[in-house]
Amino acid sequence: MSGLLSLRNIGKAFGGLSALAEISFDVEPGEIVGIIGPNGAGKTTLFNVVTAIFPPTAGEVVFDGERISGLPPHAITKRGITRTFQNIRLFSTMTVEENVMVGRHCRTGAGVWRGVLRTRGERREEQGIRGRTRELLDLVGLSGTDRDKPAGSLPYGHQRRLEIARALAAEPRLLLLDEPVAGMNDAETQEVFRLVKRVQSLGVTILLIEHDMALVMKACDRVVVFNFGRKIAEGPPAEIRDDPQVIEAYLGAGEGEPDA
Amino acid sequence: MEWLNPYHLQVASFVLINAILGVSIYVTLSTGQLSLGNAGFMSIGAYTTALLSTQHQLPIPVGILAGSLLAGTAGILVGIPSLRLSGVYLAIATLGFGEVLRAVLINWESLTGGAVGIPAIPQMGRVILVWARDRGFTPESLGLQSNQFISLTVFLILLLGTILTVAFFLRLSRSRVGRAYAAIRLDESAAAAAGIPITYYKVLAFSQGALLSGFAGALFAHTTSFVSPGDFTYHRAVEILVFAVFGGSEHIFGPVFGAAFLTVVPEALRSISEYRYILYGILLVLMMVFRPQGVIDPALLRRFRRSGKGAPA
Repeated sequence: MSGLLSLRNIGKAFGGLSALAEISFDVEPGEIVGIIGPNGAGKTTLFNVVTAIFPPTAGEVVFDGERISGLPPHAITKRGITRTFQNIRLFSTMTVEENVMVGRHCRTGAGVWRGVLRTRGERREEQGIRGRTRELLDLVGLSGTDRDKPAGSLPYGHQRRLEIARALAAEPRLLLLDEPVAGMNDAETQEVFRLVKRVQSLGVTILLIEHDMALVMKACDRVVVFNFGRKIAEGPPAEIRDDPQVIEAYLGAGEGEPDA
Repeated sequence: MEWLNPYHLQVASFVLINAILGVSIYVTLSTGQLSLGNAGFMSIGAYTTALLSTQHQLPIPVGILAGSLLAGTAGILVGIPSLRLSGVYLAIATLGFGEVLRAVLINWESLTGGAVGIPAIPQMGRVILVWARDRGFTPESLGLQSNQFISLTVFLILLLGTILTVAFFLRLSRSRVGRAYAAIRLDESAAAAAGIPITYYKVLAFSQGALLSGFAGALFAHTTSFVSPGDFTYHRAVEILVFAVFGGSEHIFGPVFGAAFLTVVPEALRSISEYRYILYGILLVLMMVFRPQGVIDPALLRRFRRSGKGAPA
């Protein structure tokens, strides 16, 4: 079986410390797959391996039938995988609009001379970038008045949605969301849930790291559970919820909030 | 035409050369790379055109072009290994490059004339005056003395070069490439994740800065008609850095303003110009404390623009 994204025996060690070991699973086109697990289980490390922030020490990442581990980060973005970060990483002094425009980089081509001479093709391309940017900001629900503000001045929840817009600007086929509702209230969480479903309906496959179990159960088609850098379970949300191994490892057998 | 004083024109010419140098460090900084090698790249441009025009009698524009391109190429060669370094380590490595280059200029006497340097480089203004005289033109017909004409011509050529340089990089900063530069400066990992090839743009910006330094150096050679290794010391590298730190490095007008201010003020206060470096030191400390982003920053420019629009006509 080989899906859109196929992880084959991924291992990642920092020095002697193993952060990921023998991680294998597939993501099928159109799915929303949740990754859950206690803090330090290796979820974000997996995202960093897939997006080549650092290379895996074992195994390979296959995307759309081709091995992508070993490619530089921008090449992976160009092939169609983009991400958001757990600790939001916007270009904080750029405007909201410019942040999304940067995301268009790999789908556009004007170089130094076309940019300086403002050729007709370059102006048309810039217009296209601005148009697409406005559409994406509409999609994530950032209103017109916010768009010329520095990204760093937006409220927290808006920054998270802006990061999603920037990631979508590169026209990904697979979007990696790292805790998109962390620190949000219920209403904001609902908005992000609807946004994630909207993005799925546009044909984007989503891999989602999230601690909010209600959201994971509701949004995901399938859930993968990590603990201590290993995959301990995989299946539909309902099954995962009742898996005794998951309950013991992750839910802590009634010891309260998993990520407390 | 008494007011057209060759001395003032010469100061103005140095303002323009320094403005180009200020832009050269700004371009590299706009991707978050601090280069102190720009005095070295400047010397490549200056010596290349000096040698081509004195020993091979090539026309000045050819020398300037060759000097700039050679400096830009050197920028690529230095920029690629420098990718492994950042921040203060890159600054030290590039400073080392400049000093090594200067040692080469001093010791390769057969080519560079050693510590004495290269004299009698064709001066742009004089060459144009001779060219014009051959065609029956005299500066007197404009009411100018010869030396006024020469200084004025040099000034106008430098002004054109500076305007083109600033316009080029102002436009670049508002294009797709400029956004990529800014993204890399603000957050390299996020920029890479957004699809920007970091290596390519860092080397590009580094070599653009080197090319501009070489351009400024070549113009310098044909303005003063004399170059020596003493023109491209560590002090020059720091001076260029101070243009950006004082003027501001977040907008292209910052280093241009810094270059203008820091060239004119020491001239105006000639009596204390001996103490220039002390003044620089104090200035840097004060800037760090009170205005770390430099005099000119985007917020200040926005305020100017707004008050310009708001004011009644």
